[in-house]
Amino acid sequence: MLAALAWRNLWRRPQRTVLSLISIALVTGLLVFMLSFQEGVYGAMKEATLRIFDGYAQLQPPGWADDPTLERAIDRPAALVRQAERLRGVGAAAPRVNAFAILAHGERSYGAAVVGVDPDRERRVSSIASTIRTGRYLAAGDSDAAILGETLARNLDLAVGGEVTVLGSARDGSVAVDVLHVVGLYRSGVPDLDRTILEMPLARAQDTFGMQGAANTIAVGGPSLAAVDGAVPALRTLGRQAGVSLRDWAALEPALREAIELKYAVAMLFYATLVVVVAFIILNTLLMSVLERTREFGMLLALGMRPGQIGAMVWIELLGLALLGCLVGLVVGGGVTLWLEARGIVYPIDPRLLAQFGLPTRLYPALTPLSALFGPVALLMAITVGGIAPYLRVTGLTPALAMRAP
Amino acid sequence: MSVIIRCRGVEKIYRQGAVEVPALRGVDVDIVAGDFATLSGPSGSGKTTLLSLMGGLDRPSAGEITVDGQALGDLDNNRLADLRLRKIGFVFQTYSLIPVLSSAENVEFILRLLGTPPGEREARAREVLAQVGLAGLEARRPSRLSGGQQQRVAVARALATRPAIVLADEPTANLDSRTAEDLIALMADLNTASGMTFLIATHDARVIAHSRRRIEMIDGRITADEGHGAPVAA
Ligand SMILES: Nc1ncnc2c1ncn2[C@@H]1O[C@H](COP(=O)(O)OP(=O)(O)OP(=O)(O)O)[C@@H](O)[C@H]1O
Ligand SMILES: [Mg+2]
Repeated sequence: MLAALAWRNLWRRPQRTVLSLISIALVTGLLVFMLSFQEGVYGAMKEATLRIFDGYAQLQPPGWADDPTLERAIDRPAALVRQAERLRGVGAAAPRVNAFAILAHGERSYGAAVVGVDPDRERRVSSIASTIRTGRYLAAGDSDAAILGETLARNLDLAVGGEVTVLGSARDGSVAVDVLHVVGLYRSGVPDLDRTILEMPLARAQDTFGMQGAANTIAVGGPSLAAVDGAVPALRTLGRQAGVSLRDWAALEPALREAIELKYAVAMLFYATLVVVVAFIILNTLLMSVLERTREFGMLLALGMRPGQIGAMVWIELLGLALLGCLVGLVVGGGVTLWLEARGIVYPIDPRLLAQFGLPTRLYPALTPLSALFGPVALLMAITVGGIAPYLRVTGLTPALAMRAP
Repeated sequence: MSVIIRCRGVEKIYRQGAVEVPALRGVDVDIVAGDFATLSGPSGSGKTTLLSLMGGLDRPSAGEITVDGQALGDLDNNRLADLRLRKIGFVFQTYSLIPVLSSAENVEFILRLLGTPPGEREARAREVLAQVGLAGLEARRPSRLSGGQQQRVAVARALATRPAIVLADEPTANLDSRTAEDLIALMADLNTASGMTFLIATHDARVIAHSRRRIEMIDGRITADEGHGAPVAA
């Protein structure tokens, strides 16, 4: 009964109600779109960063993150790789040997990270294969082949076809020595990688470093970061059974996570301000209409409605307005977002440049539960809580005085 | 005869900042079942104030009011609202109706507050609207009714709940004389036919002419009470 009355009251001043609805819907829609855009951009940023080398998640031996030494190893990686690849959301699991060694060519020598990889799987986890500028990437069946970053190659004065000597220590502490042929040079665009990483075939790395078939890490790739994130719980369980730990993207790239969180915090502050301002405007409008209707409330009190019932009716009017506005905003904002999500937003940067760094040429907003619901929920909450003001005003009325109101 | 409203030593002082405006200065009066009483007096004499206090729309500064044996001073605001709902019908000079509801819905609304089942509500609304001569206008909203018709809806609404008393404050003030005459005749009929008790604050001589009990006020005091069985002992 109160709801029906509240609904009719809302439409007593259609222009005012429609204007309020539009402002609520506009802000909601804007919030939905802006948050989705942020989600999309940050998602693309995360994917671009992780796809270069880390993978969307990694299985690692316990303690690896703090002390990545060859002794920490996954002893029978093949079984784990197969199990991981059977999980929904996991595209590929690439076992790696991660060693540190001195690379030497002629008079020059540099320290580098030597990574033994399974080329076919590695391609599906890391984009290094697609940033080869000269020569080719590793292939199945390669034995003494190696690819390295352009910077590292320049430092060592190496070119495709050259020989590089690898000198390090094996898992058991003995000396590990190998000589590899350079088949390709890559430029990922990440200076740290281009300067430090050499990749070689997994089996050979296992031999050279005395791994006895073990791997150090398994990098997980998939159709998308979201897909792999979805598989994280299953991967974690799998890891626990095998005695290894799973590190998700945030654990792999804590700095990136923090940067994104900071950006969100700043954006949220802005959004919250927007929400408060709009809630304030809406409440002000409602309070005005409550003041105008003082006499009517006096009459309702005289009829025998309880003060709380009238307060509730006004609150329902406010909630109805907010709900309707948020719904319209969600549908319109969400619709526009989904449309752009399908189409992509082209950004004004030379696409060749973007491609070079493995970045997408279009930005895709991502409608996620957070981006869809933050705006409507925040606005609804602000308006609901703010609704206490008109409620108190109504319940505090003395009927006789209210009836004398102009 | 049973007393419906009993006022003893009722005073009301309005405070406007530092200024105190005494609106009632000690009112003793009993309204008994079956009364068709008018309350008249010059503007500012306290008629509206007295009606408001009797109906529990405000609280007296001093004195005691009982409605149907219930002392209003003992009731909190919710219980006062419930008492108004069950025992008192109001008709005001204007704005007696809920503007967004049709005449039938205005009547049904109060029945709904009382918890009357839906089927019964509709039938009752139809019945009382017919009784006040508004058959056929059930679906009209107040804005599309004349002033007299609006007042009739308010009367019908009071009729629907069978309150112990109907308090009317200048019900004819905004009506032309024909309409005013019809409205007051309707109230008088209801009084004689169904024994509904009325207390009507009014300046209107025609209304006063219909009344069987004439209470007069001047300056916050009752100065005359004609037609009542016996003057109230203080
Ligand atoms: N809210 C208020 N604040 C201050 N004074 C008030 C208030 N309401 C009424 N008064 C004063 O109380 C006195 C009685 O007012 P009331 O409205 O009861 O008179 P009335 O007899 O109904 O007059 P009228 O015939 O003009 O309707 C008047 O002097 C009025 O100015
Ligand atoms: Mg008056």
